[in-house]
Amino acid sequence: MHYGDFVALNHLTFSVNPGSIYGLIGPNGAGKTSAIKAIATLLEPTFGDILVDGISALHQPERARGVLGYMPDFPPIYEDLKVWEFCDLFAQAYGLRGEERQAKVLQSLYATGLKEQMHTLCKTLSRGMRQRALLAKTLVHDPSVLLLDEPAANLDPKSRIDLRNVLKKLASDGKTILISSHILSEIEDTCDSLGFMRDGGMALSGTLDEISRQKDRATQLKIHLLEPYPALREVISRIPSLSQFEETGTCKTKFRVSLDGGQKEATQALAKLVETGVPVSEFICQKPRVEELFLELESASKERGKC
Amino acid sequence: MLNPLIRRGIRERLRPKNLVASGLFSIIACATLYLASFFDGMQEVIPASESESGLAELISIPVNGARGAFTVLLGLQGFFLMFLGTGRVASVTAEEKEAGLLDYQRMTPMNPSSKILGYLFGLPAREYFMFLLTLPFLLHCMVVGKIPLLNLLQLYAVFFCSVILYHLTAHVIGLVVPKPRAASWVARLAVLGLYVFLPVLGQAGISFLSFLTILPTYFGKIVPHLLAEGTESLGRFERQVVTFWQEIPFFTFHVSPTTFTFVMQGLILLALFATAYRKWRLDSLPAFSKPMAIGLFGILQILLLGSLWPFFSQGEASGLLGQSLQLDPTKVGLPDQLKNDSLPSISMIVVQSTFFVLNLASLLLLINVCCPDPHRQLKGRQRSGKLGMNRVPLLADEAPGGLFVGALVCISTVVYAVLHLLAVSSETVQSVAPSAKSVFLPGLVLLFTALALRAAREQWFNLGFWGFVGLLWLTPMLACLVLAVDDFLGNSQLMLNIASLSPLTFFPQLMVFLAPNIFPDPNPLINLSTSIKIGVITSAILAIFLSITLFRTLKK
Repeated sequence: MHYGDFVALNHLTFSVNPGSIYGLIGPNGAGKTSAIKAIATLLEPTFGDILVDGISALHQPERARGVLGYMPDFPPIYEDLKVWEFCDLFAQAYGLRGEERQAKVLQSLYATGLKEQMHTLCKTLSRGMRQRALLAKTLVHDPSVLLLDEPAANLDPKSRIDLRNVLKKLASDGKTILISSHILSEIEDTCDSLGFMRDGGMALSGTLDEISRQKDRATQLKIHLLEPYPALREVISRIPSLSQFEETGTCKTKFRVSLDGGQKEATQALAKLVETGVPVSEFICQKPRVEELFLELESASKERGKC
Repeated sequence: MLNPLIRRGIRERLRPKNLVASGLFSIIACATLYLASFFDGMQEVIPASESESGLAELISIPVNGARGAFTVLLGLQGFFLMFLGTGRVASVTAEEKEAGLLDYQRMTPMNPSSKILGYLFGLPAREYFMFLLTLPFLLHCMVVGKIPLLNLLQLYAVFFCSVILYHLTAHVIGLVVPKPRAASWVARLAVLGLYVFLPVLGQAGISFLSFLTILPTYFGKIVPHLLAEGTESLGRFERQVVTFWQEIPFFTFHVSPTTFTFVMQGLILLALFATAYRKWRLDSLPAFSKPMAIGLFGILQILLLGSLWPFFSQGEASGLLGQSLQLDPTKVGLPDQLKNDSLPSISMIVVQSTFFVLNLASLLLLINVCCPDPHRQLKGRQRSGKLGMNRVPLLADEAPGGLFVGALVCISTVVYAVLHLLAVSSETVQSVAPSAKSVFLPGLVLLFTALALRAAREQWFNLGFWGFVGLLWLTPMLACLVLAVDDFLGNSQLMLNIASLSPLTFFPQLMVFLAPNIFPDPNPLINLSTSIKIGVITSAILAIFLSITLFRTLKK
C-alpha cells in the first residue's frame, strides 16, 4: 500500500484463525493502522488481496463490510445522540429490524457495561465511556470479525480488565478479533497470537511460543528447592531438554535453566527431578515476555539500520 | 422504514428543547417580517382629489398586502433552507469526515444512495421544521393574495429542487474539502457562485445558465400575479425580466422555464450525486472518473449548443444581449468609430468569448479532478506492474490524461465549429468571417492551454498547479490593470501583449481579431495581430515545454 511514494504496507501477509484474538504490535509508523483500515475496506491497497471470512475485501467490499466490526484509534462519536440511539443508528444501518434490533442494542450495551448510561447524551461521556460506547456500536450487528485499533488506549485499569474479559468471551463465542495496541502487557494477556510489524511488513507472526522459537528464545524455568541439593547441576545435565543452568540466589536453593520445548518437555523434566529426589518447592515456566521480544526486535532492527 | 440517517438527524436536532427554540425563532421572525410587509402593502392612500369626501383617505386592500408580503416570505424560507441548511450540510459532512464518523457510515452495508439521501434530509432536519412553520403564512398569502395554486406549486417544486441541489452541492463540498471550518463557507460561496453569479451569464446569450435558480420560475410564473390590484401592467424592469423568462429558445424550439429549470437542475443533481456516490464508496477516489467527466462535458456542450443555436442561426438572443441588439448605438454611447452595424459583431464577440471562458473554466475543473497527480500516477504504475499489465488502462483514474484532454478539446472545438458553420450559412448573421482560421486558431489555442494545464497537474502537486494557474491566468490581467491606471492610451499595445498571455483575456482578443468589419478605421495605437501572435506562440511554447518536462518526470 502506497501513500504517494511512501510505502505504508509492504508485502504484508498474515492470517488469523477463526475464534482467536490476534495482536498487531509495532513501533509508530509500522503500518498497524493502515493494515487495519485496509482490512476494514477504508483504504485501497495498491495490489494484493484481503480475505475476510472468505470474502475479498478488495473486490466485494460491500459484502465484507457486513461481517466486519471496526473501531478506530481516536473514537469519534455523535455528540448529540444518546448512547442507545448511537447503537440503534448502527443497528438500523446494518439492517436489523424490530425486536431483534432492540435486543441487539441492549445486548451490546450490557456487554460493554453501559446499561446505566444508555439514556445519557454521548457528549457527556468520559473518554473511557466513549470507548465503550464505540465498542457497543461495533458489536451491535454481531460481526464475525472485529478490528480494534488501540481499543484500550483511554481506559482505566478496571475497564481494561473488563474489556479483556469481553474480548475473550467474544473469541470463545467464535468471533475473530484483530487488535492493534501499544500496551504490550494488554496484548500479552489478551491475544492468542501476535504479529510484530516493522516498516510496513510483518517481522514475526505466530503464538508467543512459536515466535520464541523463531527467535531462538528458549523458555526459562524457575526452580526453587526446599533445601540445597548439591548434585542438582549433574541431574539437570542428564535431562536433554534442559540447559544453561544458572544460580539466581545466594542460598543455593534458587536456580534458572533454559527449557528447549514446550509444556510436554517441562512436565517430563519436573517428573525426572522429583524422581531423582530433588526437593522441588517451585517449578515455574517463564515464557519470554512480549515486551522483551519487542525490544529485542527493535534493537535488532536498529542494528541492521546502522549496518 | 425511515432511513436511519434521517432518523438520526431528527433525534439529534429535534429534541423538545430544540423544537421550542427553533420553532419560536421561526414563528417570531416569520410573523414579524410577513405581517410588517402585509400591513405595509395593504395600506393605500386615496388622494383628496379622488376621494368622495374630499379628504385624503387611507384604505386597506388585503390582496395587495398579501401579494407584497409573498416575496419577503419566500426570502425567509430561502434563508432557512438554502442558507442555514446548506451551511449545516457542508460543515457537518466535513466535520464527520475529518473525525472519522463517515468511515463508520461507509462501513455499513447501506447503499451509498441511501447514505446520501440520509445526509441530505437528516442533517437539515431543524431547518425543514422551521420552514414547515412558515407554511400557515404561505397559505394566508395564497388565499388572501389570490395567487394561483398551480403557479405556486410550480414555484415550490422548483424551490425544493433548488434546495436539494444546494444541499447536495454542500454535501459534495463537505466530502471533498478537507477542513470543516472552510467547508461551510466554501459551500455557501460555491452555491452563490454556481447558482447566483453564473446565471448572470445567461444574460450574455447562454440562456441555460439562468435556470440554475428559482428566479426564472419566480419571474415567469409568480411576478405577473403579484401586481397590486388595479395596476394594469408591470413596471419596465419587471416587464423585461418576465419577458426574458417566459419561453426559452433552445435549438429550434421553445421550452417553458419550469421544465427547463428541472432539466438543468436535474442534470447537475445527477453529476453531483454521481460524485457523492463515488466518494461514499471510497474516499480516495477522484470526484469524477474520466468517462464520467467526458460525459458531463458533452452534456455541457449540448446545452451550450442548444442555447446558442438561435443566436448563431438567426441572430436572436434573450436577456441583456437580446435587448442590446435592439438598441440604437448612437444613443448608448458607443465609440464613434463603431458603425451602427457593428453592434451584431460586438454581440457575437461577447457570446464567443463567454463560450470560450466557460470552456476554459470547465477544462480547468475537469483537468484538476481527472488528471492524476504524481502520487496517483505512481500508484497506477505500481499496480499495473504488479498485475502484469504493460500500461495503466487508458480510462483508469490513474492513467495519464493526454487522451482525455484531447477528447475534451475535440468536443468543444467541434461544437464551436458547428456554431460557426451555422452562422456562416445563416442569411441573417453577418458577423462571422467565413474562414477556416476562425475555427482552427481558437481550437489550437484551447488545445495548447489544456495540454499545459494537464502537464502542470500531472507533474506538480496542488500548490504548484494552482500557483501556475494563478500566475498564468490572473497575473497578466492585474498587470494590465496597473498599466491602464498609469497611461491607458500610451500603454495600450503593451497591455494587449501582456493580456494575450492569459487564456482568459486572450480569447476575447482573438474573437475581435477574427471578427470582420468591427473597426473599419484601424486604430493606429494598437496592432492586434502582434498580441495574437504573442498569445499563440506563448501558449504553444508552454504546452510543449511542460509536456517535455512531464515526459522526463514520468520517465524517471
